[in-house]
Amino acid sequence: MAGAFKGCQKIRGPQLRNLLEAKDFILLDCDGVLWHGERAVTGAATVVNSMIRNGKNVVFVTNNCTRPREKYVHKFSRLGFTDVMLEQIFSSSYCSALYLRDVVKITGQVFVMGCEALRSELQEAGVPCVEDAEDPDATIYNCPLAPDVKAVLVGHDDKMTFLKLAKASCYLKDPDCLFLATDIDPWHPLSGGRILPGSGSLTAALEVSSGRKATVIGKPSRFMFECISSQFEGVDPAKCLMIGDRLETDMLFGANCRLDTMLTLTGVSQTKDAEEYRDSELTTNHSFVPDYIVDSIADFLPAFEEQDKQSN
Amino acid sequence: MSGSKCTRLTGALVKPVLDSVDSVLFDCDGVIWRGDQAIPGASRVINLLKESGKKVFFVTNNSTKTRKMYVEKMTLMGFNATEEEVFGTAYCSAMYLKNECKLEGKKVYLIGSSAMRDELQAVGIQQTGVGEDHISGKQMDWANVDLNPEVKAVVVGFDEHFSYSKLNRALQYLVQQPGCLFVGTNRDTRLPLEGGKAVPGTGCLLQAVETAAQRQAQTVGKPNRYMFDCVASQFGVDPGRCLMVGDRLDTDIMLGSNCGLKTLLTLTGVSTVEDAEAHQKSGCAERQGMVPDYYVESIADLLPALQG
Repeated sequence: MAGAFKGCQKIRGPQLRNLLEAKDFILLDCDGVLWHGERAVTGAATVVNSMIRNGKNVVFVTNNCTRPREKYVHKFSRLGFTDVMLEQIFSSSYCSALYLRDVVKITGQVFVMGCEALRSELQEAGVPCVEDAEDPDATIYNCPLAPDVKAVLVGHDDKMTFLKLAKASCYLKDPDCLFLATDIDPWHPLSGGRILPGSGSLTAALEVSSGRKATVIGKPSRFMFECISSQFEGVDPAKCLMIGDRLETDMLFGANCRLDTMLTLTGVSQTKDAEEYRDSELTTNHSFVPDYIVDSIADFLPAFEEQDKQSN
Repeated sequence: MSGSKCTRLTGALVKPVLDSVDSVLFDCDGVIWRGDQAIPGASRVINLLKESGKKVFFVTNNSTKTRKMYVEKMTLMGFNATEEEVFGTAYCSAMYLKNECKLEGKKVYLIGSSAMRDELQAVGIQQTGVGEDHISGKQMDWANVDLNPEVKAVVVGFDEHFSYSKLNRALQYLVQQPGCLFVGTNRDTRLPLEGGKAVPGTGCLLQAVETAAQRQAQTVGKPNRYMFDCVASQFGVDPGRCLMVGDRLDTDIMLGSNCGLKTLLTLTGVSTVEDAEAHQKSGCAERQGMVPDYYVESIADLLPALQG
């Protein structure tokens, strides 16, 4: 008789060190794990720098599409994470560009309902976007459509208007026009417990109007892991560890890619949320349950201090 | 167990069905008009039904017009109607907020049209939010946007000025204002415009707010029975002697089934006979509510029996 579903193992000290030794690739979410806004989580920079120095492959996997990768490099540096290179950063906007360029091999234009950063990642990858120009004469009764639109891409769009929703719906009438979403996070957190509407809310609106389901690029979809695997040698899921703060995004992503998962409690989800999923009768809910839980990524610090002591 | 559903209403069948009802409820878009084009014969049908002593009501999920505006449109198109006979979601939502939510004298945050604002005002409910609203400042500013402490509910109807800023304000009221109610006019996915085009409907805007807030709104429009209850409470309608005529299985026919009315599908709008038969054959209990008792190609098919 199988025991109750496990997971949620609180881990620290020597066990944490052993876990780290067994892994080659560490995948890290950013918001709520490494920083809150412009404030780094205490000890996070030291941990990440030590991981890299100790020969671990460290990659950053974020659904936050509001910043191009170059700006992420600056942010890492600003917050004390030294030596983080562009190649280690996988954002949903960057991966959307890769998907359009390399998987779809898109020939026409993309209609983007998203922020400047999303458009610039596409442009950087050579993927043509429909101009974002405001046509003052356009109304819902009469708005010109761009020719040759082969994909609609939805992301975080603080300039979203009804007219954009209407245009996107028109493009999506063509079944050959792709429907992509950077991510489906319904809201995203700011510091102080505040939240803002996420890409998921805009994607949901468009799914209702078009009657179609979006293909999701970001977590929890597998695609960002496939990007990582194609850009790094020797990525073995069994030797990867995904560390994140959001059960429905990071842990599900890890489960979908068959990675070990670790929840840090410095962000969105709490232990009781994880335990609710664990104790749920619906086995599909078990995919949200982390294998391990730490209070903060700083819990890794002793593992490196031990190593530093031994090598002295 | 009646097997006779989805029957073509024609010839000798029509008169007995009409004789068996005292009231007829008509949806508007796709039933009596398409955009600004009347369905040929529709106004004659309405007028003849009234002349024969039937009560006629108009029940529409479209929240962009007040009752007064609907009557103006109907008069222009040759339909004989009064304000009291029109039940649009702008009016019914105002009634709902007044009578069920007890918000008379209170304030709501409204994502909706000026028609909604007017119907709310007519029942003593103030609103904030109507019109254009574009984002400015930084993310933290949006999360800390000024909230009017008098707002008791977030109300969502069709709004051609829908924007991220409005979505954000609605979210902040729902998560920061204790006890804030959440009401939507309807869930239709498309809104037909004058001139025949269609744009994303209120259902899309509502879904955006519901997803961000991770909370379901209470909706007023079809297929929710509230709109029928509005009609019945004002006019003493016997559901057993009432016919619902519509073009959408998931709103009009479903409303009819929910309220125990006879249902008639007209094929001049959204749904087809094939759609209805698919629901019938599905074996799924919930979907049976979307199978009409009868169907006609157009409501003009009722004319011979009315004229005879």
